[in-house]
Amino acid sequence: MTKLVVGDLHLSYGDNAILKGVSMQLAQGEVVSLLGPSGSGKTTLLRAVAGLEQPHRGTIAIEDKVVFDGARSVEVPAEKRNLGLVFQSYALWPHRTVFDNVAYGLKLRNVSAGETKERVTSALANLGLDALAQRLPHQLSGGQQQRVAIARALVYNPPVILMDEPLSNLDAKLREEARAWLRELILRLELSALVVTHDQNEAMAMSDRILLLNNGVIEQQGTPEEMYARPQTLFTAEFMGSNNALRGTVAEVRDGSARLAGDGWSLWGAARSTARAGAAGTGMVRLERVRVADAAGDNRVRLPLVTSMYLGEKWEHLFSAGELRLRAYGRAPLAKGEHWLEIARDDMWVF
Amino acid sequence: MKRIPLPRLAVILVMATAVLTPLALIVYQSLLSAPFFDPNKKLGFGAFAFIFADPDFWDALRNSFVIAAGMAIIAVPLGAILAFLMVRTDLPGRRWIEPLLLVPVFVSPMVLAFGYVVSAGPVGFYSVWAKSLFGGVPWNVYSLTAIAVIAGLTHVPHVYLYSSSALRSLGSDVEEAARMAGASPFAVARDVSLPMVMPALLFSGVLVFFLGFEIFGLPLVLGDPEGHLVLATYLYKLTNKLGTPSYHLMAAVAVCIVALTIPLVLLQRHLLRNAGKYVTVKGKAGRQRLLPLGTWRWPATAVLVLWLVVTVVVPLSGIALRSVVSSWGEGVVLSEVLTLDHFREVWDQPTLLRGILNTIVIGVVGGALAVACYTAIGLATHRRPDGWSRFVDYLVLVPRAIPGLLAGLAFLWVFLFVPFLSPLRTTIFSVWLAYSVVWLAYGMRLVSSSLLQVGPELEEAARSAGATRGQVNRHVTLPLIRYGLLAAWLLVFLIFEREYSTGVYLLAPGTEVIGSLLVSLWGTGAADIVAALSLINVALVAVGLAVALRFGVKLHD
Repeated sequence: MTKLVVGDLHLSYGDNAILKGVSMQLAQGEVVSLLGPSGSGKTTLLRAVAGLEQPHRGTIAIEDKVVFDGARSVEVPAEKRNLGLVFQSYALWPHRTVFDNVAYGLKLRNVSAGETKERVTSALANLGLDALAQRLPHQLSGGQQQRVAIARALVYNPPVILMDEPLSNLDAKLREEARAWLRELILRLELSALVVTHDQNEAMAMSDRILLLNNGVIEQQGTPEEMYARPQTLFTAEFMGSNNALRGTVAEVRDGSARLAGDGWSLWGAARSTARAGAAGTGMVRLERVRVADAAGDNRVRLPLVTSMYLGEKWEHLFSAGELRLRAYGRAPLAKGEHWLEIARDDMWVF
Repeated sequence: MKRIPLPRLAVILVMATAVLTPLALIVYQSLLSAPFFDPNKKLGFGAFAFIFADPDFWDALRNSFVIAAGMAIIAVPLGAILAFLMVRTDLPGRRWIEPLLLVPVFVSPMVLAFGYVVSAGPVGFYSVWAKSLFGGVPWNVYSLTAIAVIAGLTHVPHVYLYSSSALRSLGSDVEEAARMAGASPFAVARDVSLPMVMPALLFSGVLVFFLGFEIFGLPLVLGDPEGHLVLATYLYKLTNKLGTPSYHLMAAVAVCIVALTIPLVLLQRHLLRNAGKYVTVKGKAGRQRLLPLGTWRWPATAVLVLWLVVTVVVPLSGIALRSVVSSWGEGVVLSEVLTLDHFREVWDQPTLLRGILNTIVIGVVGGALAVACYTAIGLATHRRPDGWSRFVDYLVLVPRAIPGLLAGLAFLWVFLFVPFLSPLRTTIFSVWLAYSVVWLAYGMRLVSSSLLQVGPELEEAARSAGATRGQVNRHVTLPLIRYGLLAAWLLVFLIFEREYSTGVYLLAPGTEVIGSLLVSLWGTGAADIVAALSLINVALVAVGLAVALRFGVKLHD
């Protein structure tokens, strides 16, 4: 069953268009991430679904019920949409205890006191907050506040839970743990979730599907694996993962492959639809796909080592000559001087 | 111990002298048996014994409590509702209502009180019209209740200012969270917005209660016909009561008033620290969508308009009308009594002309000088969290606890008492000094809020580049706050134009200002001239307000 359908949504602040026709769907039990740089419109899209921003065109339907339709002037106010939203700042009410924060949505739905107590207690237990019910928000750590915010958004069983940068207010160390915990929670409670994030690793780890937004439109969408391994545009390739960008001229295009050439080098890669022979082109290679080879060979280039950086679990080597700069990972330090670097034909995308 | 730089020491000492001398003099005088210049004076508690034996004193004390409590009860809920409507909802016409809301803050209470007399008094314009419509006047502005209600309504802006700035600094995310949980606009206000600004409301409640002990113009004008005295008017009338200069008795009353106001000022200081308790200014505030009021917008607008009519339109229109009619009463036809004679009379009296000129000078030149002094004090404590700064913090509170009438009295004594100051007694300097000290706390808040906006790293960068503290002030801090200081000048101008009670005892040939002239002319019953002067006073304030609005000066923080 489809929980959320957004159709051709347009939204602007005055003359400044933020969303320029976004369409998406969210199925039951699915986690979809809205990924993109700041200003891409991802938070605005989330807030428009929540009813906190007013689009001027398009449709939004939650569980087959239309909550916004620009053409028919339908706009259900935020409080009637029955959604759960976890704010980036958590937005816990500082004058209410943890219990009262979570119970508020039930109180507004006229749930009896006994049932409220039962449901709040079980929501808090689900999130490991049992012992903190009578605390005030400022007495909690950042991670605990986040869990209260989630409990507050879940307690009245909304059809979709919306999360705005749920991990960004946590310490770097805590963030990775919370990421795994959140994914596990969403699966265990079979939630349908729409998550805004600007961190590609977070998006890949947490979601079933990623929507990459760029400048108010969807650049590409797909599973994390598709997004990482088969980017269709230069923007997607650049946004996902750590990359080497090779600027040069497309020398020839043949059988889905393209040869990119620069000052003293020439490499084959997989041609993308924008690659045209004779035009300027950009080759994108993930850092982990550049291999240090011991001798000349197919699709290899010889470059001097500039420096090596120790990252703990691996080394990062920087090679550079003229305009051409390549970074590569390695298990061991390298000797000074020139090295052969190999890029497999399928590992470079030529745009 | 670190040596304190000389300029800083000088600023702090001058300020301490200006603030503490009047207070010390009041206390000293209250313990004497006669005026301090009387050779037969003796130390003792005779003055207190005298006023405590006077039933009028207890009457005045009770009335002060009733009025102060009534003001808080009326002003707090109304101010909070207005603030929520103006800041958080899509009430129609918010833009043009906002400056009107602040009018009662900047119009002299003396003028407002007089306005109520001429428009709603027994033979006021609206009363006469009401009589011809209903056959009777359904209100009595001279009753104690009416005084409390009018004082309450005119103090709504004070509550509005504090609660609206608290509401503005409240992150909209907490309200949005409530809407997501399913709360209607009304439930959002009841369950989230208002509870979260409760510390600010509590503070403004104590502030209004405190101002209730200070009010002088309203009870002087409105309380007179039925003989309702409050502490300030009781003190003012003591002179008439005994017929001789009874400074020791006045000082005793003054000490009683200060004994009531100092705890209230300290309580306010404590509450103000907590007022920002729930303030959550988050970087990513984004665009707030205002709460749609729906059908509630019409009753909400009605409440707002009714308040504006009663507190602003009624008194000001009364004054404007009264200043252009020769007489008024039942059966008088408006078109037959229209005249500009009152303004001609003002023009013909040198005292009144000098008063108007002095009022402008004290606002423009005196305002600038006062802001310069406040800035010097502000810089002396800026980013120096030491004992001297804490001392200055408490010093600033002292004049707040002394109502203007008492401060004026104390400064009169200072100018009589200190030999080298007495030649200045009959110059406008005496009034300026009293005004500047009385409004010290207000001016300091304006200056220090500008100072706090200067990022510390800008000053630290200059320090590390090798600038001394003085050079940092001159090259970095002052240039950065210059617009803030200009705005402060304008606001101090407005306050100095409005001030009336501080000049009452300093009134002498040469020191006339409109405010004190109004009080003294009102005593002689010259209603025509009072009306004309009031209108001129309102016009001066209006000019200041117009300039402020034109340049987008924030009228509050």
